[in-house]
Amino acid sequence: MIANQRLHVQTARSTHFVDLTSQVQQEVERAGLQSGRVYLQSMHTTLGLAVNENEPLLLADLEAMLKRLVPVETTYLHDDFALRTNIPADEPINGHAHARHLLLQPSLTVLVENGGLLLGKWQSIFAVELDGPRRREIALQLDGEFAPRDADSGRRLIEIELERQLHGDPKLVGDPMRRLVAAGGKRLRPFLVLLAAHLGPVRDPLRAATLAAAVELIHAATLVHDDYVDESPQRRGKATVAAAEGPARAVAVGDYYFAKATRLIAELGNPDVTSTIAIAMEAICRAQIDDLEFRGHYPGDETTYLQVVRGKTGALITAAGVAGAQLAGAEPEVVERVRRYGDAIGVAFQMTDDVVDFSEQSGKPLGQDIRERVLSLPLIYATEDRELGEEIRRLLAGPMADEQVRRVISLVAQSGALSRVNNQARGLVREAVAALEGVELNGVKATLVDIAHSVVDRDA
Amino acid sequence: MSPQQELESIESLWKGGIEEALAAYRPATSFIGEAHAERVALAAALVEVALHLQRLGGEAPSPPDLLRGDLCLARASRLLAQTRQQPLQVAFARAIEDLAVQAAEGRGAPAARPRLLEAIASAR
Repeated sequence: MIANQRLHVQTARSTHFVDLTSQVQQEVERAGLQSGRVYLQSMHTTLGLAVNENEPLLLADLEAMLKRLVPVETTYLHDDFALRTNIPADEPINGHAHARHLLLQPSLTVLVENGGLLLGKWQSIFAVELDGPRRREIALQLDGEFAPRDADSGRRLIEIELERQLHGDPKLVGDPMRRLVAAGGKRLRPFLVLLAAHLGPVRDPLRAATLAAAVELIHAATLVHDDYVDESPQRRGKATVAAAEGPARAVAVGDYYFAKATRLIAELGNPDVTSTIAIAMEAICRAQIDDLEFRGHYPGDETTYLQVVRGKTGALITAAGVAGAQLAGAEPEVVERVRRYGDAIGVAFQMTDDVVDFSEQSGKPLGQDIRERVLSLPLIYATEDRELGEEIRRLLAGPMADEQVRRVISLVAQSGALSRVNNQARGLVREAVAALEGVELNGVKATLVDIAHSVVDRDA
Repeated sequence: MSPQQELESIESLWKGGIEEALAAYRPATSFIGEAHAERVALAAALVEVALHLQRLGGEAPSPPDLLRGDLCLARASRLLAQTRQQPLQVAFARAIEDLAVQAAEGRGAPAARPRLLEAIASAR
């Protein structure tokens, strides 16, 4: 990856050594360059670049040397406006400055290691003004391995973009969606988009942010309809759209954002991205129908569970990474690795959600999935237990008051199903991490690995 | 999957009016080109059926109908993605956004067909 930036400096004297070291270091940090090179190039013929010691008397010596070697007093044909043609109105008399520039460099390269400029103890980077004072521009090109933006800045970008996309939407659909989005969420999918958008040569943070927001809006739209189907009173601690606004509004809000997200993605003009997301949306919707149908055979079996989870949860998580990589123009091999990674963490994510649902710290009413007859792998495994399975099946077949829910939770815990599911989820995380081996991931591998672990290392 | 196979895979909707809707959209898509005209007509028919199933702007739909409607919308979106024609994708999305807003405003069930025909025509 290569990032382009500009430095601007205001010089104060006709000859002036301006120390740029801290500014260049700031740009390296801002871009997240971890290992590589910074190329600096003066955009002027009377501004040179140098690496030397920032010691005032030495700088005075160097200035004196320039004056001695190339004195102002000598005749320069460049300054004879009677001989020259096409002279700009503001042309200065500065033949000496051009001549002094030959003693310096118009460009230089500084290596970067571990996110820092590789400079010796006494080395500083100088812009050397030869015809000041003036406002000057220095072009920077940063080339190498960049760290992804840290989680905090990525999250801020996602929130800003979501706010921007929701701003100005008609109130009747916009307000309920703003409340849902403001109530929080892990933002796993948009964050994956942003990370995967580092995986190819085409870097455009703004387009990546739009795709990230669109993916989150698709997720939110499915939640709005899901909550209606499940008759859930609350989501993220707030009343669901259906509960607060009524079913008719919930249908409209879901449809509006489903369409809006589709449009935002289409407007990006990348057919591969459009297709990836469209295929994922269809998989989600098909899985939701399957989920509803399978509730008649509650608690179901592992095959059914995986079929539903791959569509309902995994499809958009996978598509988020794949679409981000496609937007960046990543190599097919990289896109395929991201697909495998996303598929594994998508299933692991849902398995962990299922385990968390049995915990007091889940943030949801305890046993909500049991009451709503949502497919749950710990429950499926527990019903297969030789000693406890029969009682669980009998309880699930009857009315589920608080007492029965508590008993089921206790039996599932006794059966060892929670740790079995937890181990399976951790196995999938290992598969996800393995999928990232052996391909160039432009510095985002560590964060992708962290995300994979965070999918299972949580209690809410 | 060919448009015909697409139709067969959603057989239950066939009886729900999609055949009639498809016939209504076909003439409007003739300018698109043989390869994609049928896809676009089917996408429009699927959107119309979806909004009908979901009773957009009307009474609460049954959960299965809401989800079947979502599936129709998603399939329409995928068909349009296959055409790789961005103006059509954008025009369809805007049409659904408009219809959803009309529904949210409580103006009853919005008339989907004229708006979708308008969307198709706008991509001409």
